[in-house]
Amino acid sequence: MSDQVLEIRTPFHEFEVGFNVIIDLITPSTRVLDLGCGSGTLLARLRDEKDVEGCGVELDQEKVIRCTERGIRVMTLDLDHGLEGFPDLSYEYVVLSRTLQQIINPERLVREMLRVGSKCIIAFPNFAQWKIALRYLLTGRTPIVKTFPHPWYNTPDIHRVTISDFRHFIHDIGGRIEKEIFIIKDTPGTNISWPNGRAEWGCFQISAQ
Amino acid sequence: MDQIGVVETQYLQFDGLRLESGGYLGPLIVAYETYGKFNDKKNNAVLVLHALSGDAHAAGLDENGRTGWWDGMIGPGKGIDTNKYFVICSNCLGGCKGTTGPTSINPDTGAAYGRSFPLITIGDMVNVQAMLVEKLGISKLHTVIGGSMGGMQALDWACRYSDKLESAVVIAATARLSPQGIAFNWVGRNAIRSDPVIPVNHSDSTTGDAKSGRGLAVARMIGHITYLSEETMQAKFGRKRTLRDMDGTTYSLGENEGLGGEFEIESYLQHKGSSFMERFDEDSYIIITKAIDYFDLVRQYGDMVSAFENITAKMFVISFTSDWLYPTSMSMAIVRALQAAKKHVSFVEVDLPYGHDSFLVPQGMPTLTRIVRGFLKGV
Repeated sequence: MSDQVLEIRTPFHEFEVGFNVIIDLITPSTRVLDLGCGSGTLLARLRDEKDVEGCGVELDQEKVIRCTERGIRVMTLDLDHGLEGFPDLSYEYVVLSRTLQQIINPERLVREMLRVGSKCIIAFPNFAQWKIALRYLLTGRTPIVKTFPHPWYNTPDIHRVTISDFRHFIHDIGGRIEKEIFIIKDTPGTNISWPNGRAEWGCFQISAQ
Repeated sequence: MDQIGVVETQYLQFDGLRLESGGYLGPLIVAYETYGKFNDKKNNAVLVLHALSGDAHAAGLDENGRTGWWDGMIGPGKGIDTNKYFVICSNCLGGCKGTTGPTSINPDTGAAYGRSFPLITIGDMVNVQAMLVEKLGISKLHTVIGGSMGGMQALDWACRYSDKLESAVVIAATARLSPQGIAFNWVGRNAIRSDPVIPVNHSDSTTGDAKSGRGLAVARMIGHITYLSEETMQAKFGRKRTLRDMDGTTYSLGENEGLGGEFEIESYLQHKGSSFMERFDEDSYIIITKAIDYFDLVRQYGDMVSAFENITAKMFVISFTSDWLYPTSMSMAIVRALQAAKKHVSFVEVDLPYGHDSFLVPQGMPTLTRIVRGFLKGV
């Protein structure tokens, strides 16, 4: 039973709710840098819906080519090497959607994001959600769930990060949390009780102090 | 129309050109080919820039049935779609395929320039291309695109004629050649210089003085090694022996000309060198490699960011994972400077195993086609 996958994680390009939350946060006609942009779905929507001048960063060649074919400006770069070359405050928004838990050194990257963007939007799966936490506790094994769909020994999600972790982390690096949005059962909300235990996803807008 | 078919090289004559070195070179002939048609606004022109050994014949077939050097990329429905774009490719200044170069007649002496041809720069080549573009009635190019030396020219175009192009694609290039690259070019030129003077090209009356070709062949062999990757050599040749390697007691030093050595890689290089000797001029090789070696935007403008300050074109930089002659780090240096200058830049590092030549080999064409087509559409 414990090896059974609860639910399959929504494929990246179908992460509508998360994308809607991010798109709502972004002011029209701004510059947006999307880190780990995949095939450029978010940037294409931002371009079409909000007249955003976007640029994506992606390492996977097939996805980079897809971006180019969709007319999305893109760069082949490894986020684990930071954002060297991007000038200070050269984007209104720097987005890191569903990739934070896969970065070797999140502190270095988030500090870089705060340097490059006026505002940063970071969305990540919450490992403290009660179903996951309970399962962890009861089985004593790393759960394979919708938001963390791979076994611990072969997964890109190398960090099992929680909403509480993230709030402390931003405080520790001297950042400011401007907005918090939590996604529970595909429904976003801002003023919800006990988000660390209930939310499947956290989406934060942060800035430098 | 699904093929370009037979293409004829065309020629335009100009009075001359003030060289960056200060001298004057004239009269000037430019050899070029075009594919596709202008649209009504004449804003669909794509200028293709060739590498060291290329020529104006980029696509289609010439009168001898020879396929153009980038035929996989240029044509109806291809990466640079001739149903959409008017494509131009000219032989570079200093070349030996129709544009004024060392094999051309010096009007002052009535003989070929030969080694007296003046030192030219990548900038001079670009200025000549700009003269051609103007003569063709194009006020703004949709794109300039080139690999290796062609990439250097594309970069120089963007810096020099920012108002004359919408976009530039810089493939496997650098803003300044590495000392390693200069070293290989030096060895190549040294091979030419060390050549014993034996007349080999009797049929070529323009060369006048006795010329030989084996030095040029050696230079080409060295070049070829730098254009390939270890992986490609391993896959293509490995340690395979040729049929001549029979008794194991004799060996060849290449004295048998086209036959080559005991290993297949030796015969391959021998063949490449020999065929290059037939089709290229050693003084062109010298003058073009000098231009490549001297190309240095940092030296020219103080630093790379200053060089890129006036760029308005959308820039697209492409490198290849297996290219060790113009490695990704050199493309990244261009990208970072463009970013620092707040320019519109895209960058793709393409994972192909074919070394510096990845943009030319047929196996790399499907990937590169998607990238180039996508970018051109988005300009």
